[in-house]
Amino acid sequence: MQYLLDQVISGIAVGAIYGLVAMGFALIYKATGLVNFAQGEMSMITAYIAWSIAGTVSGNPWLVVGGALAASVVLGLAIERVVMRPMLGEPVFATVMVTIGLAVVLRSATLLIWDAYPHALDIGAGREIVHIGDTGVRSAQLAVMATLLLALGAFWAFFRYSRIGKAMRAVAADERAAKLMGISAARIHAVAWTASSVIAGIAGVFSALLYDVSPNMFHVGLKSFPATILGGLDSVLGSGFGGVIIGVAENLAAGYLAPSVKEITGFIVIIAMLMIRPFGLFGEREIERV
Amino acid sequence: MSATSVPAETALSRDGPQAQTAQARRGSLEVRNLQVVYGSAIEAIRDVSIEVEPGQIVALLGSNGAGKSTLLKAISGVLGEEEGKIESGVISYDGVDVTARSADEIVRLGLMQVPEGRRLFAPLSVDENLDMGGYIADTRTLAKRRAVVFELFPRLAERRRQISGYLSGGEQQMVAIGRALMAGPDFLALDEPSLGLAPIVIEQIYAVIRRLNRDLGLTVLLVEQNAQRALGIANYGYIIERGRIVFDGTAAQLEKNADVREFYLGVSGSGQKSLRDVKHYKRRKRWLS
Repeated sequence: MQYLLDQVISGIAVGAIYGLVAMGFALIYKATGLVNFAQGEMSMITAYIAWSIAGTVSGNPWLVVGGALAASVVLGLAIERVVMRPMLGEPVFATVMVTIGLAVVLRSATLLIWDAYPHALDIGAGREIVHIGDTGVRSAQLAVMATLLLALGAFWAFFRYSRIGKAMRAVAADERAAKLMGISAARIHAVAWTASSVIAGIAGVFSALLYDVSPNMFHVGLKSFPATILGGLDSVLGSGFGGVIIGVAENLAAGYLAPSVKEITGFIVIIAMLMIRPFGLFGEREIERV
Repeated sequence: MSATSVPAETALSRDGPQAQTAQARRGSLEVRNLQVVYGSAIEAIRDVSIEVEPGQIVALLGSNGAGKSTLLKAISGVLGEEEGKIESGVISYDGVDVTARSADEIVRLGLMQVPEGRRLFAPLSVDENLDMGGYIADTRTLAKRRAVVFELFPRLAERRRQISGYLSGGEQQMVAIGRALMAGPDFLALDEPSLGLAPIVIEQIYAVIRRLNRDLGLTVLLVEQNAQRALGIANYGYIIERGRIVFDGTAAQLEKNADVREFYLGVSGSGQKSLRDVKHYKRRKRWLS
């Protein structure tokens, strides 16, 4: 029983990281209709920047987090402006290929700027063990769960109440009609890329805190993609929950079946999912009535 | 008018009636020798010139594929979505050359379009659709304009929290018009507002269009296949065929013209269809039933 509980709790923590990255996928898909294959790489770049900041100013977690957030904003804006905006109006397939190219470029850039060895990210916080019942949890694990909850709440309110959030849903529903209302699709896309980069960056920093900073970190993107499919590619909140489900499923499969099953669990879950509900658990079915 | 109640025209226009009377009335459109080409190969409209004076209702009539919607898209600056391009010609709105302006700039100038097929934001509620129509306005103005829209379409007030994609066709058309009004336009371009609606609903929609023109002073460009309806409320009309304006005149002139009567109003020159046509029609109907 205790073993199960341990597995579930650490599964939720990993799942929260997947969930955050998955929300980034869904956000870009919802606003622009694209799957961004560079999501994991964006999260890796921010983690590396956090590591660089932590190496310069040691012992101030707030400075590291603030710097990483600022860097992720700049990264998101820059990618949208330099890489994605020129592709506006081009076929979706070509644009998605561009994100794959971007992923490769970001991966190589990481190796060029930093190095190929894993490093521990030490920001002077996050390693303390907190006991919940008999289960010991690191404070960073608790923090990432809290962050996911916070992000879910924030995005729920954003889509429901804010002008930009509603406009994002409008652009997703009908881009030309949105233009006729005076909504600038390019601006909405920029907001989506920035927000997506920020939550991917947060996930990257947590991942670095719980494991380490390494050039393989972009795998978090691959592992979060099933979470987005599970939750619904167009559902930002569903993707967040999807991450938690995938994280727990992975941990249980590794703990009870075999550690080697862990890597493929997420993909088995989505294959099953796609057969039952192809639009995901929380995805929107197209409204048919015209 | 009492000082406490907000007159509809104050709530809808962007700076109130004082500004309207101080300067020339707004909402004039002039299209000169417009040529639009799709995918740099297909010429959709050629040498089209139309003029809409402030406060008028102008009808643009034509059959499917004649170029009506293309003209409206060009006016609203959304041709780019379908690889369309203005090759030559000028579109000016209130004396401003808007040929190369972006869609949101044109909306800010006060020209709104109600697109063909309504194109609501289906997953959004009625209220949220209206909010998006007033995307360029501030919250306080939105509340005032929303009240005007609900006064014009009381049905929408009942349905405001419903998902717009599940409304009936007539209600969706009301949302589409209400959504456009939320931007506080001086000029409203309506693309086939009667498409696919029941006659009684068309009647209601047209009553509102007439009211918007008469009471609120909106200039209206009415694009229609339903010529009889459109000429019923229009001051002036243009007929577009295969991308060219082939005829124009006052509504009365159009209604009197023999060709227009035959091709657009379904009345043949002799006044009575020949017996053979009638028989043929009946026969075909029997086969179909």
